[in-house]
Amino acid sequence: MVKIKKTRLKDFIDFVQQEYDVFAPTEVGKKTAFKKIDSAFEIIHDIVNTDRSPKEVFFPQSEVLFEYGKDGLKTPERKEKPIAVWGLRHCDTSSLTMLNKVFSDAHQMPDKDMFKDPYWKEKYDNSLIFNQACNTPLSTCFCHWFGRGPFDKTSSDIFVVDVDDVFLLEGISEKGKAFLAKYEKAEQATKEDEAKITELKRKAESFLAEKTDISELFEKIGKLWDEPIWEEISGKCVNCGACTFVCSTCHCFDVSDEGKKGKGKRIRLWDSCMFQLFTKEASGHNPRGISTQRVRQRFMHKYNYFMDNYGVHLCTGCGRCVQVCPVNLDVRELIKKVLDYKIS
Amino acid sequence: MQQLINQVKKILKAKEVDLVIGWGKGSLPFSATPVFIETEEDADKLIFDQTCRNNLTSYLTKDKRRLTKAYEKIGIIVKGCDSRSVVLYAVENQIKREDVVLIGVPCQGVFEKKKIAKLAEGKEVLEYKINGDNIILNGRDFESKYPLKDVLCDSCLTCQYPDAPEYDFFIGTPRKEVSIPEAYKIVEDFEKKSAEERWNYIKEEYSKCIRCYACRNVCPSCYCPECFVDQNDPQWIGKTPEVTDSIIFHLIRNLHIAGRCVDCGACVSACPVDLDLRVMSKKVEKEIKERFDYLAGIDINEKPAMATYCENEKQDFIMG
Ligand code: SF4
Ligand code: SF4
Ligand code: SF4
Ligand code: SF4
Repeated sequence: MVKIKKTRLKDFIDFVQQEYDVFAPTEVGKKTAFKKIDSAFEIIHDIVNTDRSPKEVFFPQSEVLFEYGKDGLKTPERKEKPIAVWGLRHCDTSSLTMLNKVFSDAHQMPDKDMFKDPYWKEKYDNSLIFNQACNTPLSTCFCHWFGRGPFDKTSSDIFVVDVDDVFLLEGISEKGKAFLAKYEKAEQATKEDEAKITELKRKAESFLAEKTDISELFEKIGKLWDEPIWEEISGKCVNCGACTFVCSTCHCFDVSDEGKKGKGKRIRLWDSCMFQLFTKEASGHNPRGISTQRVRQRFMHKYNYFMDNYGVHLCTGCGRCVQVCPVNLDVRELIKKVLDYKIS
Repeated sequence: MQQLINQVKKILKAKEVDLVIGWGKGSLPFSATPVFIETEEDADKLIFDQTCRNNLTSYLTKDKRRLTKAYEKIGIIVKGCDSRSVVLYAVENQIKREDVVLIGVPCQGVFEKKKIAKLAEGKEVLEYKINGDNIILNGRDFESKYPLKDVLCDSCLTCQYPDAPEYDFFIGTPRKEVSIPEAYKIVEDFEKKSAEERWNYIKEEYSKCIRCYACRNVCPSCYCPECFVDQNDPQWIGKTPEVTDSIIFHLIRNLHIAGRCVDCGACVSACPVDLDLRVMSKKVEKEIKERFDYLAGIDINEKPAMATYCENEKQDFIMG
């Protein structure tokens, strides 16, 4: 483990930038999001979760798949450096591993038949992921329900802890270790520094709200498809897409052509299962024509189908949806309602 | 509060209504949550305070498509702006006035979560207390005091009708119209800018839009069964968050709600990226007021400004 003085962070980020484009929490309008930064001075440190989730770094809201014209198709060539992301929280890094499953990782299908999304893979596979511990989890954080926590180190290359006037950095993956070894200006962390981590971790965990045991969630919710509970839950939802757009794990997309005579481009863009148009068929029929069906879909996907397919819940407990929902449809309450529900 | 609960119990018991839409305590310190009350017992869940942000009337129209159950008569708890939405629906033949029972509550303005978050500068506010004209915000290791008006929605700060002009029951005594000398200040400031500055402002603001449509979906005046942005045959507008398309979405929405927006501020509060949606809707409101002397949702017998025509109207936008 090494340490870097906060006042020397710029030097370190400059070093990372020699090899990578660095994305970090920064201000976008009046809100915070992970965007490419030019200098370490743009990084915002005093927040826990960014308003917008980091999925857009690797899975942008709109992305050109190819351009077409009279002379055929042209796939855009990625000319930028590989991506390094600073300031991700553990919920963020775990959301990226979930998305990675969708776009290019293990599925029940045998690997040879598995389509790997080149647009995602090219960015994600070559990335350097910094995972920063959360010293002060928010009241809306519930990563611990899923067995994760604010000081988890898995699913990252380099683990970062903010301790007083320094950042402590620990290489987790081989790639992360090798990268840190190259930065010669870092000092070795002392035993005292490491002891501070234990104390910070204990304190952070004490801030977490009460934990709900969700071990039965997958099975239980799977039995509720036909139950009236969905009407009760969805009654207040106004079917905006705010929760799905800020969610770090929602990944449904639409494909749209934008073109004029003779040329154009095919674009992949975020869509939302909350939208009526999402499932509207060419015939005019809509299998999820009413809100209740759409709300059920969102949460079935999160807490049942995804688990079935990939062995993990499609939710990190980041709480972003809780913060933005205009009608305060709190997913934590939904989970509790599902668990408490008596099947008729 | 107890008075409100009693009133609701009374009309449920007398079967004057079979559903009451109101607010209950939310899971976050500054958000109440909509509740749908069908029994006297459930009425105890009702609250009314400055966290009761939502304009619940949007459930009256959108509800028809949302709930499987049909209600004969719906009671709804309304602030001033909410009651104006009901008038709008009646005027636009979306509901019959006699099919809803309006319970007015005295509104002191509602909180704008985003202003509170900004004041707290990244720290999480977990509790608040109201102390006279001030609000005291508490977090894990801080306490700070601000004038109450600094945490209220912009719409509330210029609200002329805080108490429902239209109601069947009122909890307390309703105040009459309040005069607001600077109701259109944000518009006047905007108008003073050069055309280039205005255009740049609009471009910059709307480039942040992520097109989640939360603004439209919470808007009581946006009740089209299918919005123009959702039509794909023909498709009117590009679907990416490219700024030109976002501008088209917002400007068309502004025109669609011209003379219909009640300035409840629901869109502003719902927007997850905190866009300035109000400057344009207030601009349109001001235009309609000056040209046609019309304000949405006030007079239940007056035809909507955009649905009538008089020969002596100002026509300078055509004639120059
Ligand atoms: S569902 Fe909510 S808590 Fe779960 S990952 Fe998405 S935004 Fe975060
Ligand atoms: S943010 Fe809330 S209201 Fe909007 S779709 Fe999600 S759950 Fe429904
Ligand atoms: S923007 Fe226009 S078309 Fe869309 S819902 Fe609002 S009024 Fe209807
Ligand atoms: S709520 Fe905000 S981000 Fe969403 S569509 Fe409306 S203006 Fe855009």
